[in-house]
Amino acid sequence: MSPFPHFPRLLAIGCWLFAVVLLLPSAPFALADNQVAITVQRPWMRAVPNVMDTTAVYMVLVNSGSAPAQLVGGSTAIADSVAPMITTKEGEGLKQVVGMQGVDALDIPAHGTLVLEPNGNHLMVMGLKEHPKEGAQVDFTIKLEPGDHEIHLKIPVQKKPVK
Amino acid sequence: MSVVSPKTTSVPNPPAKRPFFDWRVWTVAIVLLVAVGLAVLFGVKQNAQQGFFGMRLFPLKTAYDFKLHGANGAEVRLDQFQGKAVLFLFGFTHCANICPTSLTNLTEVYQALTPEERKQVQVVFISVDPNRDTPQTLEEYVTSFDPSFIGLTGSKPAIDQTVLAYGGSYEMVAGPTNQPNDYSVNHSAYTYLVNPFGKLELLYGNEKLAEVPKMVSDIRVVLHEPRS
Repeated sequence: MSPFPHFPRLLAIGCWLFAVVLLLPSAPFALADNQVAITVQRPWMRAVPNVMDTTAVYMVLVNSGSAPAQLVGGSTAIADSVAPMITTKEGEGLKQVVGMQGVDALDIPAHGTLVLEPNGNHLMVMGLKEHPKEGAQVDFTIKLEPGDHEIHLKIPVQKKPVK
Repeated sequence: MSVVSPKTTSVPNPPAKRPFFDWRVWTVAIVLLVAVGLAVLFGVKQNAQQGFFGMRLFPLKTAYDFKLHGANGAEVRLDQFQGKAVLFLFGFTHCANICPTSLTNLTEVYQALTPEERKQVQVVFISVDPNRDTPQTLEEYVTSFDPSFIGLTGSKPAIDQTVLAYGGSYEMVAGPTNQPNDYSVNHSAYTYLVNPFGKLELLYGNEKLAEVPKMVSDIRVVLHEPRS
């Protein structure tokens, strides 16, 4: 005779409780998948001379959700188009060439961040119609997936990164 | 069932008494002291001579005397700047990320120098995209960073010869619209430092330019401790 006659039942109940505890935290996020849990930190647009018809926007996107998201583009009234870009490096040593390449999307991992920064990933702003000067604020919208989600931002125009 | 190991109390041996003047201890101490002293002296000397932040080229060779065109179309040669340290880089004005980042960093480096030092430093931006970058466009572009900066370009053969002479490379990449003027340029993103004797002395990858104090320190060594 076992000293714990209820052990199998207790074990089963324990397993169920454990499973429920494991599933609990993910439940609200699973429900919130349509609303992407993204926050934007330190956004800025590079102030460029009038002869340039392009500029770049940088920021840090923080995904507090448990599902991955993507930055797929953006828009602003002061330019024709906005596209996510990556920086490419080909070759080694002196022969190395650096360039940029348009991509359909930049990934923002679950519980992770996407950093857009000088010399790295960025949102390229093409066909500038205005050249806002350092200190100005620009209305800027970023587009995220899933859910065709948009975030409207007021972005400061600067020559150097936000400290 | 776990086994609890019996606790043993270690009784430290009482330290053997040594005379204060133990010649073995003192010999070791003095030898160590001398070694550390020599290492520090040698290290400091090494640092002063070769502790550059940039990649130093050795042996120093005369930098290729490029002949390109400046603001009003006038010919500009590298040799015109003898007596100055020249920092130059390749790029194009339609570049939205790398080129303005490099020029912004170089502006900060340049402006961190004293007015006296600035007179002995010239920053030059060489466009590898003469099709879209006219001398006037370039002039307006570079002077928006610092009025002293110079923008140069030239015929494709002159540009190619310059890029080749510095071991660099560039290529045009078609843009998404396939319009003739929709292209990007992948290019060498090094900044080359030519010393006041016209010798190519240091190289900086584009990411290094953000380290303003280290850049300034290199430039000061090149200006104040010149090596031909």
